[in-house]
Amino acid sequence: MTTAATTLPGKFHDAVIRWQETYLSDFDFLVDNWEKYFPNDQRFRLCAYREQGICGEIECGELEGQPKFTQACDMDPKRAHQLLGAIRAQASTEFGSIQQHRLTLARAQHEQDQMWVLRMMAEELRHGYQMLHLLLDDDWSHVSEISSADMVEEILSMTTGSHVLGAFNIDFDSFVDNVVFCALIDRVGKFQLAMQQVSAYKPMAESMPPMLREEAFHLATGVVPMRRWVTQAAQGEVYVTMEGLQRAWNKWLPRGLEMFGDERGGGTNVRLGLKPMKNKEAQEGYYKECGKVLRDLNMRYLRARLPKLSRNEAIRALDRILEGEVVQGVGREALLHLPDQRFYRRRGLPAFEMIGTQGEVFEDVAAYTQHLSETLPESYRASADFRGYVDLLRQVNGGEVTAHEASSRAPALRRVGGSCPCSKSVRWVVDSPAESSSLETPLATP
Amino acid sequence: MPDLDEDILIRPLSEVDIGDIVEIDEKQGGIYRPEVWEQRVGYYLRRDPEISVVASLEDRVIGFMLGEVRSGEFGLEESTGWIEVLGVDPEFRGQSIGRRLGEQILERIKNRGATTVRTLVDAGQEDLSGFFLALGFEPAPLKPYVRTL
Ligand SMILES: CC(C)(COP(=O)(O)OP(=O)(O)OC[C@H]1O[C@@H](n2cnc3c(N)ncnc32)[C@H](O)[C@@H]1OP(=O)(O)O)[C@@H](O)C(=O)NCCC(=O)NCCS
Ligand SMILES: [Fe+2]
Ligand SMILES: [Fe+2]
Repeated sequence: MTTAATTLPGKFHDAVIRWQETYLSDFDFLVDNWEKYFPNDQRFRLCAYREQGICGEIECGELEGQPKFTQACDMDPKRAHQLLGAIRAQASTEFGSIQQHRLTLARAQHEQDQMWVLRMMAEELRHGYQMLHLLLDDDWSHVSEISSADMVEEILSMTTGSHVLGAFNIDFDSFVDNVVFCALIDRVGKFQLAMQQVSAYKPMAESMPPMLREEAFHLATGVVPMRRWVTQAAQGEVYVTMEGLQRAWNKWLPRGLEMFGDERGGGTNVRLGLKPMKNKEAQEGYYKECGKVLRDLNMRYLRARLPKLSRNEAIRALDRILEGEVVQGVGREALLHLPDQRFYRRRGLPAFEMIGTQGEVFEDVAAYTQHLSETLPESYRASADFRGYVDLLRQVNGGEVTAHEASSRAPALRRVGGSCPCSKSVRWVVDSPAESSSLETPLATP
Repeated sequence: MPDLDEDILIRPLSEVDIGDIVEIDEKQGGIYRPEVWEQRVGYYLRRDPEISVVASLEDRVIGFMLGEVRSGEFGLEESTGWIEVLGVDPEFRGQSIGRRLGEQILERIKNRGATTVRTLVDAGQEDLSGFFLALGFEPAPLKPYVRTL
């Protein structure tokens, strides 16, 4: 296996650097301290990687067996258009997550956790860079009226609230969000990247393996601290409680499920050879994997809480507790539970259904919002995102809008770059080298 | 009883495997040490998640082999693969799972450009030396020394 590394043309590379200086100001700290925290690991490099020697034939869909496309202009407009949308959405998520993580990065209790998140953020920057590389390295003019340069400008101009997918429009409230987000939302990333490894567009397929290698570390950045937190919670520590963690799962898991797209869709991607699985199938795999992570967390908790139990006794005790028994003072409420797939959804098949975390069905809005208030983090309930959902839920129940209409009003469907980037006074992509004073201007944007 | 050969999947290590690896380790060594495996799995994922492999059967990990490629150690200038920790669930031993893990990790190490693979086995661990000999390893002239401080 070999990878080829490239950088973007100068002005675009510089635009990303300017963006990094604004949203990832700890980058230099990471670089300066790399050897201390990640001894002997390959140094971080802001560049695009392409894996060499991947499968050259289309792996699924109607053109299965034919050579993969190496240029966008060789693809029929439908395929190219679909792909372009996916690249832009992917870029939006990569840059968007950095804007979220930065808010609470400084609040970590442990240095290692913080440095892992910081490294992960730098790698997300590289992922965004990788997607810009796909936009700029090819000619998309037959499927887009916007120039590649303006597409880059649009993506770099997005902020929390104007990103393509809902999960990236929600602010973090504490370091618990940094960690749970890595475990749940980056996990969606892993599934999506793994699917796109088969992409009929070779540059996309070649971009995936290096990203996936980095993603494996991002998931560990989420799961390892959570395992430590549940242990501490079991030992009576007061930092991150099981309830606090549960509420964070309730906040993020529904957004993760929605990132797979509508449960009824995804056939087009399979037919066009862009992904090997429909939405529902991929979403099921994701949900199951989240369930496994959660069971392991419960086991870790239980064994710390009842350390005298042997391994087999602990396995049996966990099952009994989950069935409702109280074992040595530990009841069901002490553990974590995977929220129902239909809980708190605003897109897809169960959008705006009033289903509780454990699958309970609610008939009335007041009772459901009460349930949400008991199951979501308090800090999150003060957000515009939550308020927007509740407003729409009331409208759906009042018959003012259908669930389908409400879904399209949710921030999740806000269009990429709703306003013309040319109208902005600050541009990320500039033709001449920027003066140092102009570097500071974007700081006012978020 | 499922047909093991077909149903076992050898795949790269992931953070989801920590819990199962902790169990295998506890079954083989009798000690529950989750922190050790959280650190180790975190380490190998950070280094290169495509080298280390696990054997999974119906979504449960029943064997693992963790390693990496390094260079410049012990005066070994060329990049060298190291197999550092491994284990097969005692219930599943003797069914070629270790061999399959070994073959996969060797191939992955080779793909990274290394031409040698090394491992260290405690002289008392006959099973491990037998296993590595069966995989084609030979005793190396490099002799380890140690002293307590
Ligand atoms: C060593 C170990 C990995 C072997 O796993 P396994 O799945 O049972 O091995 P396989 O069935 O694939 O056997 C592969 C080869 O190794 C040989 N082998 C396996 N166990 C052996 C033993 N105890 N003694 C001698 N040779 C052995 C087999 O004969 C086989 O050779 P063959 O294919 O030519 O017939 C497993 O026994 C184990 O996990 N042991 C404990 C490891 C340990 O202590 N880890 C902690 C320190 S890192
Ligand atoms: Fe990413
Ligand atoms: Fe990620």
